[in-house]
Order: sequence, then structure tokens, then C-alpha cells
Amino acid sequence: MLIGIDVGGTTTDAVIVDGNRVVKTAYVPTDHDNLLKCFLGALDELVAGVDTAKVERVVLSTTLITNMIAEGKTDPVALVLIPGPGTNPKDYNLGESIILDGAIDFRGKEIDPLRESQIKEAATQIREKGLSRVAVVGKFCQRNHSHELTAGEILAAALPGAHIELGHRVSGQLNFPRRAATTMLTAATKDRYGQFAADVAAALKERKIKAPVYILKADGGTLPLDKSVGMPVETIFSGPAASIMGVLALTEAGQTSVVVDIGGTTTDLALILSGQPLLSSKGARVDSLLTHVRAFAVKSVAIGGDSAVAVNGGSLTVGPQRDGPPMCLGGGFPTPTDALRVMGLSSIGDGAKAEQAMQVLAQALNCSAAEAARKTIDAVVDKMVSEIEEMFREWESEPAYRIWEIMSKEKLSAQNVVGVGGGSPPLVPLVAKRLGAAAVVPEHAPVANAIGAAVARPTLTLNLHVDTEKGEYDVAEEGLAGRISDKKMSSEEVEKLARRLLSERAARLGIGEYAGEAEVTYSEVFNMIRGWSTVGRLFDLRLEILAGLLPAWRRG
Amino acid sequence: MAAKKQGRTGLIFFPAFDWAISPTHPEREERLLYTRDQIFEEGLMDLPSIEEYKPRLADKKDVARVHFCVPDVESQTTEAHLIAAGSTLTLADALEKGEIKNGFALVRPPGHHSMRVVHGNRGFCNINNMAIMVEYLRSKYGHKRIAVIDTDVHHGDGTQEIFWHDPDVLCISFHQDGHTLYPGSGFVNEMGGPQALARTLNVPLPPGTTDEGIHYVLDNLILPILDEFKPDLVLNSAGQDNHYTDPLANMRFSANGYARLNEKLAPDLCVLEGGYAVETALPYVNTGIIQAMAGLDYSHVKEPDFVPGRFVQSAEMKHEIEHTVSQVQKIWEQRDEMVEEALANYGNFYRRKRRIFYDTDMINENQEESVRLCPDCAGYMTIMTSAQRGYGILNSAFCITIPRGACPSCREDAAEEYAEHLDDKRVGYVLMQDKDRDRFKFYNNGTRTEKGY
Repeated sequence: MLIGIDVGGTTTDAVIVDGNRVVKTAYVPTDHDNLLKCFLGALDELVAGVDTAKVERVVLSTTLITNMIAEGKTDPVALVLIPGPGTNPKDYNLGESIILDGAIDFRGKEIDPLRESQIKEAATQIREKGLSRVAVVGKFCQRNHSHELTAGEILAAALPGAHIELGHRVSGQLNFPRRAATTMLTAATKDRYGQFAADVAAALKERKIKAPVYILKADGGTLPLDKSVGMPVETIFSGPAASIMGVLALTEAGQTSVVVDIGGTTTDLALILSGQPLLSSKGARVDSLLTHVRAFAVKSVAIGGDSAVAVNGGSLTVGPQRDGPPMCLGGGFPTPTDALRVMGLSSIGDGAKAEQAMQVLAQALNCSAAEAARKTIDAVVDKMVSEIEEMFREWESEPAYRIWEIMSKEKLSAQNVVGVGGGSPPLVPLVAKRLGAAAVVPEHAPVANAIGAAVARPTLTLNLHVDTEKGEYDVAEEGLAGRISDKKMSSEEVEKLARRLLSERAARLGIGEYAGEAEVTYSEVFNMIRGWSTVGRLFDLRLEILAGLLPAWRRG
Repeated sequence: MAAKKQGRTGLIFFPAFDWAISPTHPEREERLLYTRDQIFEEGLMDLPSIEEYKPRLADKKDVARVHFCVPDVESQTTEAHLIAAGSTLTLADALEKGEIKNGFALVRPPGHHSMRVVHGNRGFCNINNMAIMVEYLRSKYGHKRIAVIDTDVHHGDGTQEIFWHDPDVLCISFHQDGHTLYPGSGFVNEMGGPQALARTLNVPLPPGTTDEGIHYVLDNLILPILDEFKPDLVLNSAGQDNHYTDPLANMRFSANGYARLNEKLAPDLCVLEGGYAVETALPYVNTGIIQAMAGLDYSHVKEPDFVPGRFVQSAEMKHEIEHTVSQVQKIWEQRDEMVEEALANYGNFYRRKRRIFYDTDMINENQEESVRLCPDCAGYMTIMTSAQRGYGILNSAFCITIPRGACPSCREDAAEEYAEHLDDKRVGYVLMQDKDRDRFKFYNNGTRTEKGY
């Protein structure tokens, strides 16, 4: 038995899955001031009368980090940058920072040393501001950790008890400002997230649930809760990730689907391309910060069942604001929910009130109420269809840097439009028809999110960079570096090294049994020529365990 | 000139990581690798002032609008060439649609040594990305006057040759003196065909020219001339091999100097040409150019071993550069008289014979070019070309261009020339470039088949 619990924006949904059957569902309203209580409330309701010894795994997806950041409840962090030559750090949207001298280049060569006195001065500044969390991030420090390590040590010695987070430990991918933002957010959320994780573990122990507990990450993969405390930001947006994984579980494998989650005032859109959820190309945007966090590409459109419908100068507009609940549910203004009621596409609320709502629009439009309802829904569907088409276009126009990438990018279109969330069932068939796709509203659509959490498998990424001229390699994900002795390393040997490192990393993260699922998703080799001879090779290889479902789900 | 324009800077980065002339050639996969690392690590593509675009393939027609590829476009281009050229067109479209205020096609392979007739690769170039963009901008968007400033260390001889007879395209190239560097041309006295004299301007500079010298040329020659010429668009053939670390040339220009040049020149579109100091120059120069175009602070861009004042220009060098600038200024000032005089001297036709050497592919080409000096239009042009690769086969073609706005008489005569050379055993191919109707024909005399673009 697998348990999935999604602590979402309005409700906390929970399911028990056995084989490929949904055995039991439960939900409680979400209380944003006490997410732990919501999780436990849903869990207790779910496991009442169930033999918890049979639970194999509990997966949690939570808005904790999302909320902390949105509500500004993160801990203050001192940002220390070692930017070296290039962009003026002021051109980055990173807020206040302390700038240190020192520089590393793209090959990992030191081109300008650190100044110890300057670092000590930085420590004094941080102490005077009363900050106890520090993020230290250097440009190209993933290719040479020495500056971050040294600066970190000096700061730690000068600031006893301070929590110091180093950029190369958080992400080794190219993009210094994103690494700085991700490191800063990690330092800002780690303590509170750690507390939450400890509370969850304690509560499960109290309930004698011995099954391992996982958290769902933004890329739709699970990670043991105790291992996730080192990377709290990875869990941001786990709600939408849960819904998308749910759709993946509830639709046929390998298909191309649009996931539509229609809520009160917003609709979330996501794509599953040939069975693989689309990731945002560079990393998630968290509030105003661009990060390295791998996350599904989710587009929020300001339109939903409660959006205000108005007529301005003879033309009809829907949203983006909400002027209260739909008229059929006691509100004072017309909404798409009223239009659906009049068209007979839903049976929510009071039909007479819905008719009144459409009459208001009909008068302004000089047409019948039925026609006003149709026009309202047309406008909603138009908006969604154009946003979906735009998502496909954006995916198609993602930059490419190789000939084959440009020549081979296939054109995809939606086979399914899959509705999840409360507002989807009546609208999904209309959107699907316009896109020439099948409309799918799965049986368990309202708890698709919890199902997604329950059956998602772990994900893991490992980026290996090898420089045979220098005889060094580094792993982007955890600040790991090492020496290689073979200057003539082949691509196969590099892949072997990557697989070994990935297995070790997977084992450390408690997901060792999935290491074999890793596939090469990116690989490049460059001969370094100086003069007319080859002096070495540069390899970049990415191994990934991509988002997917546990084998148990299909087993039943 | 450098009025602050609103909007974003469009960027296409196409490093062709899977294309090389040969494994150890300077024009190899690795060339833009460290530039990629630097601009990605800088996070430049995320900045709100920069918009990254995806490259596209140029149509064969876009190539045929500029080049007589012998025997056809397909055999002279690979996908990499079409993508590099297509990238410039994507940015041209974005500029014309008002999506961007300016744009930089950071692409390879380069193009500025490719001439009108293409038998193979010359100076690392097969097709001329810049010229393809210019002709696209003119035919699709109706631009009349365009200025191409070639800032590569090598003379932009291909671009010069393509626009040699065109008074509406001002080509200015500054470069290391042709006595000391490939392609051995680009002297002050190369200044365009009789109808377009002084619309080609060359500024040869002594080896070792510094930031100071190049900015002297910019401030005292190029910018004032642009003010007078009043082009619709200013384009930069942005080579990066004037850099002090470039292995193939001997100049002393810095990344900061390049950034400042682009700030002052304020080109509408930039296209990368050469530059082979893959580690020591390109990452810094490209970062600086992108920042300057996007209106960002580039003062933090600095090569690891650069200190301001590192290179000082000697009095002798200063004098030499000033002298060259004054010579070119004089040519520019006398442009109208020179054209008048030249047209009076020639009869109805201007003819020249040329030999062109393709260093990369070891091809020797002979050309006989003829342009009608027509009072009613730009005049049709014919080129008889024959080329031999090493001791290999001889390829020959008869090429005809009908200019935009051709008069009926030139059109009729050009059509006659085409018909006359069909099935003429002395030439392998007959190529017709009808720029006025944007139609292009390639006839194979051996197989007696015609194809069009």
C-alpha cells in the first residue's frame, strides 16, 4: 500500500493506492498556519481502520516552502558574492550583497586570488547586521571550489554558530545569478524546513507508521524526507508536480497531454510530451528570483470559474479579477460558473440565479441569456486554447545549440486534454474539441494530486564535467570533485564514471535501487586543440532518472 | 547617432557544436565553447534587457539572392551554414517587427570572405551571412540604404565584393594591413565600382594597433561618415580577432575596446565573423559586446591579464593611422566627383578580370565581370567564372544579375544573355539572379536541366 498526501492551497488530499487501485481517499481543508496539522489530519482520517503495517511508503507534497517564500517568512540571509570579471552584480536582481575580490575562470583556473582581510571585513559587516545565515557564491566556483571553501572557512571562524551555505554545494550548473538565488533560498529555508521534516517524522513515529517517508520535488520525483532537508528549495511547487504526476498515472503511457487544472481564479496548464512531463528549460522562477530548481513548466493563467465577467463597450471580458462567488452560489456578479449552469453543463448552485447572472450580460450585449452564456464560455475556452498553443510554441522555440537539435525537433500536438481539480469537468471537453484532442477527466481527478504523490518514483540528476588536460572532474549536484589519471579518457569511460558516481549519490540519498533507471540525457565532448595538437578533452555528461511512476502502480 | 533606443537586445547563440572545417582547424567545435560557458554563467540570457531566439535555417532562395553557388546552393552549403545564415534572418525579422531594439547573431561558421560567386570555402567562409541578411532586409522590408561596418581583423573582402557596384550599401572595413595578413587586400585604393565609388572604404591599420588607434578611426572617420550617409540600418560584421591574444593576427584591441566600439557604433544588428583566441578573448569580448548592445555596464569585463594602459601606441603608429584616416576622408569627400568622372570615362560597360584564390579549399578561380553602366537603372551584370580545385576538375559558369528596379532594356538584354549561354558547351552552368522579381534559376548545361529557387 502506498500513501500520497498533497497539502494543497485549499484542501489537503490523501489517498491509499494498492497495486493500480485507489483504495481510499480523504481530505481536510488546508490551514495555512499549520500545515503539519493538515497533513496529520488527512493522514489520521485516511489510515483509520487500515493496517498501517502494510503501508510501504508515505509521500508528502507540501506548499510549505512556496508559502514561506510568498509570505516573506524566510530567514534573513547575508549574500556574499565572488563575481570576478563580467556582469556588474548590480545588474542581477539579487538584492543587497557583499562583493569579494577573487576570480575563477571557465576552466576552473584561479585568475585573481581572494583577499583574506576583505573576507574578515565581510564577517564584521554580517555580524553588525545581526545575520546568522550566509550564502557564499562565486562565479565558476563549480569548476574550482577553493574560493568558496576558503571564504566559507574564514567566515565560519569569524561568525561562530552561523549557518554557511556554499554555492557549489547547491548547484553546479552554469548560471551564477541563478546559483546565487538558489543558494540564498536554501540558506533562508533550511532551518524551518528541517523543523517541519523532524515534526513529520516524530508524528509518524507516534502513529507507529514505520514506512519510509518521502517528499515530492518540483520535478515530480520523490526523495526521502530526511535527505531532503539539505535541499529544501527542491520541494517548491510540489503541488502542481503532484497533479501532473497524477495525470501521468491516470492516462495512457507515452501520450502527449495537456494538463488543465481549473480553479476559482486561476487555471494551471502543463504539458506531458510523449509521456514525459515538460520541465521548465532553465529552472523555476520563485517569486522574483530565477533559480536552478528543476521544476515542471507550469503556466498559471488568470482565469477560472469565479472570474468576473463584464461587458465593456460591447465586448465581453473574463477575469482576471474575482468579484466574489458566482451568482448561482450567492454572489453578486456573473461568472463562468453561472454560464456553465445556464448551458446545462453543470448542476452547481441555483439555476434561477445563474439565469439572472446571464441576463445581466445579455442586456449589455443585446442578446439572449443563453447566448450570453455561450459567449462567456467561448471567451474562456478561447483564452485557454491560445495559452496552450503558446506553450507548445514556446517549447518548439526553445534555443538549440547543435545542428541535430535544430534539424530533429519534432512537432507535437495534444492527444489528450486532461482535467484535474474541481472546475475542470465541464470545460475540458470544450477545450479538447478546439484542439482536436480527446477530453479526459479521470475517475479520480479530484485526488489526482495525491495519487501522483503516492506513485511517483525518485528522480535524480548528475552532471559530470571532465577536463582531461587538467586531469580533473566535478559533479555539479553536490560539489564533488576528483582527479582522473587517464588523459585519453573515452566517452564510454566517462559514462562509466558518471554511472558509478550516480550510484553512489543515489545510495547516499536512500534511493540506490533506482540507479539503474538513469539514462544519458545530455552529452558533449570537445577536443581541446592548442596549436595544431590535441592537448585534452572536455566532457559534459548528464545522467538522469527522469520523472516516472513506481512499477507497483502498473503491476495491479 | 547613438540615441538610446528602447527595447530588448535579441541574441542568437549558435555555436555549431557539431561542425568543424577539420578537427584541428581554428574554425572547429571548440571555438565558442568557453564563450558559451561565460555567457551562460553570467546569466545574460535571463536579464530582462536580453531576449534569446532560436536559430532557423535560411531558405536556399535567401542564399541565391546573394550568391552564385556553383553548381547549386545545395552543394555549397551544409546545414550549419544555413543555420548560421538563418539566425541572422531571425534577428532581422525580430528587429523589423519591433520585438527588439538591436540584435547579435553569435553564430558560426562565419561568412565575410565569401564572395558573390561561390566555388568552395574561402577564409573559413562558404556563404556570406552578413550579405544574405542585407539582401533579405532589402527585399523583404524595402530598406534602401544600409551601412556594413566590418570590425574583423581581416579585410571583409567577400562583403566588399558583393556590394562593390552598389551605391546604397556603404561597406567600411578596418583591419590589419593586407601586406601583413590574409587576405592581402583592403587597401585604401579599393573603393568600389564606377557607380559606387567611395561606398566601399578600407582602413588598413598597422600591426599592433591598440584601442586608441581603433577608436580614433571610429570617432574621426566611421561615425562622421555614417552621419552623412544616413543609412536606414547600421550592421556590424563583428569579428573578434583584433584582440591582443588572437593567434592568427597581431593587433592589440581589448574586450573593453570592443564593447566601447559597439556602444558608440550602436549597430542595429551584429553578426559574428572571426576570432580564434577561444579562451583568452572570445568569452570576454562576446560578453562585452552583448552588454554594450543591451545598454548594460560592461566596465567589469576584463581579460585576466589585462591592465589599463598595458598597450601604448607609439607616435609613429599614431601618425600612420592619422594619415590613413585622412586619405580615406578625402576619398569620401570626393565621392560624387569621382563617380561622375568614372562614368564619363567608361563607355556603356565596365569590365574587369579577376583571379580569386580559395585558401581553405585550394581553388583558383578566374572571373570576367561586366556591368552595364545604364542611365536608367543599376545595370545588369554578367560574370563568366571558371574554377579549378588543385589539379582537379574545372567548373565553369555564366552568371547574370538583374538588379532591383531594372529597366526594360537591361531586363531584355539579360534574358538574351541567359538564352545565348544555354547549351553553350564552353560553360557548365548558367545562373540567373533576378533580384527585381526575386527569382533565381540554375541551368545545368551537361544534363540540360533547370532548377529554380
